[in-house]
This record gives sequence, C-alpha cells and structure tokens, in this order.
Amino acid sequence: MALQLTDTTAPATAAPRRVPGGWTWLVRAPFILYAPAALFLAVFFLVPLGLVVWTSISEPELGLGNYAEFFASTYDLGVLARTFRTALIVTLVSLVFAYPVAYVAARKGGTIGAFLLGVVALSFWTSFLVRTYAWMVIMGARGPVVGLLVALGVEPAPQLLFTTFAATFAMAHMLVPFMVLALYAVMRRIDETHMRAAASLGARPWRAFATVYLPQSLPGVLNGATLVFITCLGFYVTPTLIGSPQDKMIAGRIGQEMEQLLEFGAASATSMILLAAALALFALYDRFFGIERMWR
Amino acid sequence: MSRSTLILAVLVVVLLTGPMFIVVPMSFSTAPSLEFPPPGYWLGYYRRVFSDPNWTGPIINSFLIGLGTMVLSMLLGVPASFALARYQFRLRAAFRIIVLMPLIVPHIVMALGYYTYFGTLGLVQSMPGVILAHACLSIPVVVLTVTSALANFDRRVEQAAANLGARPLTTFRLVTFPILRPAFLVAALFAFIHSFDETVIAIFISGRDSATLPRQMYNSFQMEADPAISAASSLLLAAVLAVIGTRWAAALVKARSKPIGASS
Repeated sequence: MALQLTDTTAPATAAPRRVPGGWTWLVRAPFILYAPAALFLAVFFLVPLGLVVWTSISEPELGLGNYAEFFASTYDLGVLARTFRTALIVTLVSLVFAYPVAYVAARKGGTIGAFLLGVVALSFWTSFLVRTYAWMVIMGARGPVVGLLVALGVEPAPQLLFTTFAATFAMAHMLVPFMVLALYAVMRRIDETHMRAAASLGARPWRAFATVYLPQSLPGVLNGATLVFITCLGFYVTPTLIGSPQDKMIAGRIGQEMEQLLEFGAASATSMILLAAALALFALYDRFFGIERMWR
Repeated sequence: MSRSTLILAVLVVVLLTGPMFIVVPMSFSTAPSLEFPPPGYWLGYYRRVFSDPNWTGPIINSFLIGLGTMVLSMLLGVPASFALARYQFRLRAAFRIIVLMPLIVPHIVMALGYYTYFGTLGLVQSMPGVILAHACLSIPVVVLTVTSALANFDRRVEQAAANLGARPLTTFRLVTFPILRPAFLVAALFAFIHSFDETVIAIFISGRDSATLPRQMYNSFQMEADPAISAASSLLLAAVLAVIGTRWAAALVKARSKPIGASS
C-alpha cells in the first residue's frame, strides 16, 4: 500500500522533465533518431552527388569548360530545348486526360469512383518498362497500328517507333495516373455543397464548374503539373527505348556521354544543368506551397 | 454531372489500361520479334523466364535487393520520421530537405554519381552497392508515409499509457507500434516496390552478376533479342492486377454491403 502511494506521487515530481509519452532521454537527443539516416544519406547520397558537381568542373581540367561547351553547342542546346518542350507537351496532354477522370472519381464516389481509381492504380503501379514495351509492340513496324494503316491503303506506312512523337505520346500515357492522383487528392476535399449552392443560385453547370469548382481544384493542377513536368525532364528509359536516337532528351544525352563517349566531365555538367532545372522548379514550389504537399 | 463527362472519364481509363494488355497475347506468341497479331501461340517464353539463368538470376536478385532496401530504409527512415514529426532540433529544416532530396534529383544524375563513387569504393556491380543506392531513394518514401501517419497520431493515448505506469519502451510496444503498424506495412511495401521497379540506377551500377529484373528487361529491349520480355511483363502486370483486384474487390463488397446493412 505504501509502495503504491509513493508510486502515484513520483510522476508528479518528475512531471516537469517529462514530455508526453515519457521519452525523456530522447528529448535531449532526438539526435539518436535522426543521426543514422543523416549519416547514411550524407555518405551514400550527398557524397556521390557532390562527386558529380566536382567532376563537372574538374574533368578533363579544372574550370567551367564543360559548361561553356554545353552552352556553345547547338546540339546540346537543342537537346535542352527539346526536353523542356516535350515536358511541357506531356504535362498539358496528361492534364487534359487526367482532369475528367479525377473529377468524376472525386464527385461520383461509390462504385464508379472505385472503378476509375482502381483502373488508374493498375496503370500507376505497373512498371514503366512494361508500359514502354506495350507501346513498342503497338507502334512497331509490324504492329497493329501500322498493319491497320497498310490495310487502309496508307503507303508507305509512317515510321512511328523511334520518333520523338512516340516518346512524347508514351510518356504522356505513363504520367496520366500521376496527374490523376495529384488532382484527386485535392478534389476529394472540395466541398460538394458549393456546387449545389451555385446551382441553386441559378448557375448553369458549366458556369458553376468554371467559377466554383475549377478555382478550388487549381492547387491539384499545380501539384500534378509540377510533379509530371519534373519527372518528364529527367525521364530516361522511355525516350531511350522508343524515342528518336538522334533527337535525344537530356537524360538520354547524359547516358550517352557517360556510356558511349566516356566523357564524364561533360556528362556531369549536363547532369548539373538538369538538376538545376529540377531544383529550381521544386524551390519555386516549396516557396509557395511547402514541398511535402507534393506527395500527399 | 452530365452523362458525357462520365463516359469521357471511363473512356480515358480504358484507353489508359487497354494498351498495356497487349503484352499478354505477345507473351504466348511464337514470333521471335515484335509482331502483332502473333502468328501462333505457345508457352515457351514462360518456360524460359522460369528456367533460363539470364531471367531467374535477375528475378532472384531483384527480390533480394528489394528486401535489403526495405529493411535498410525502414531501419533508417522510421526513427528519422519520429525525429521529424515529434521533435524540434537544430538543422531540422536542413535534415528535412536532405531526406526529401532523393525524390527530386533525377535518377540519371545519381546513376552517374554512383558509377564513379562505387568504383572508388569497390562497390560497383555488386548487390550491396545497389541496395545502398536504392535505400537512399526509399528513405524519403518511408519518411513521407510514416510522418503522415504520425501527424494524425493522437499522443494522448501514449500519455495515458505513461500515466498508467508504462515505461517508454512498453508504451511503444503496446500502444504506439500497434497503432502505426498499418503505416509501417505500407511504408515497407512502398520501399520494396520502389527498389523492385527502379531501372535507371540499376542499369548503370548493377553488373552482370547482380543484374536486376528491370535491367534484364531493359537490355532485352535494346538487343531486341529476347522475346521472353513479354512473358516477364505479363507476370508483372498480373502481379499488380492481383493486388489491385483484391483491394478493389474488397472495396466493392464494402460499398455493396453498406446500403443493405443500413436498410435491414
């Protein structure tokens, strides 16, 4: 009994030093919690990244020569311009296709919503490689599209595979699910009563959509567009496999400089330019919205 | 909502998924290269995927690397999530940025970095090298999942446990962990998939002996030599379909049973 009494009074005296949950020792050292991850990322993420920075200014000789070469080369500038153009097209196309899907899924809910999201998820979780392979078959010289065109009398059938068009089309197709999920995350929080209020005040469906729903869904559009645009800037696999071998995108150019030309300095400088573009966009996003929201 | 909007949405998702299924007839095709429709059907490519060491090796490697990545990124990412969600510390903002950065840096840039870095460390073309690289990419995934669960965590249940006399570790074992278990499972699964799916870094740093499945698939695209790729693709598609199918079926059953339960 006496023991119980001291037990109940003990926390009262110790209370000021305690945090909720009683992790006293950790308050002084959240260090123990974050240090392993910080150390690991420093050694296996920041150092290799720093190595790319260093290589870009030290290989083959110290200085900014690699950057000067990049910006003096019409080929490399063409690659950069093509990359931005493609990313922009892919972002717009995937937005156009994704918006109605997310809109219906968010507003309808129920079985139709579950069906739409289920199908989007199927596409989302299927490897880029599998989907690239599917487009390789479909657009191939002996594939169904060319077969159909030939049967319709289009001679000679146009080359589809290994063109910038093929890569752009396939990337847009691949990134639609990302866009849908980004849009849906915002749209499902839009209050349904706002639309009903607009309707009861006499707004026609299109007007209600344009003045009430669309503005509220814009944060989702911005999230999705940023995510898709940046993913597209650094896309390697699909453009390399089904894009034009001459008209490379920037990631493919880095791969080429590194694998075929063994010009690590040039590859590093090109990498830094790609990274700068991606980081600038993220920094802009973080400034306005906070970066964690991107993946929520 | 108008009927045409609905039809448009359904049409888009059908166009989104439909083309992927072309890999299924291709996997039974007898054609040695890309040809559609297939000239004949057989099961030879499936047999090859399950017996040819060029395919079985990478499949096993991908599972091992995925599991290694999962364990490593959970061990590092979960404590980091607690630090970020529950504590203020110096350099917290910097730490947050470093944790999230692997999601931002394009994989090709990291592939270039690892290519030279692991060369000097003697880790190039080795399984530990791929695991270390993949763990960097999976840590942010784990942290995003776990911190979001922690943000919705009602800490009063921990205080209650402490008030009832539970020591910190007991509180964690009996209260915190069970509540967060679903989030941990999702985080672990994401970490695994992130590694299993990762292509670009694997292409450049996993050598012949530690080649992953995506690397093997990528190489067979480039060579256009091995049509077994279609069988591998179909299997991956089937795996995703199975997981989504069960989850979706469960959601459907729930949606159906609710109104019935309410009316009775």
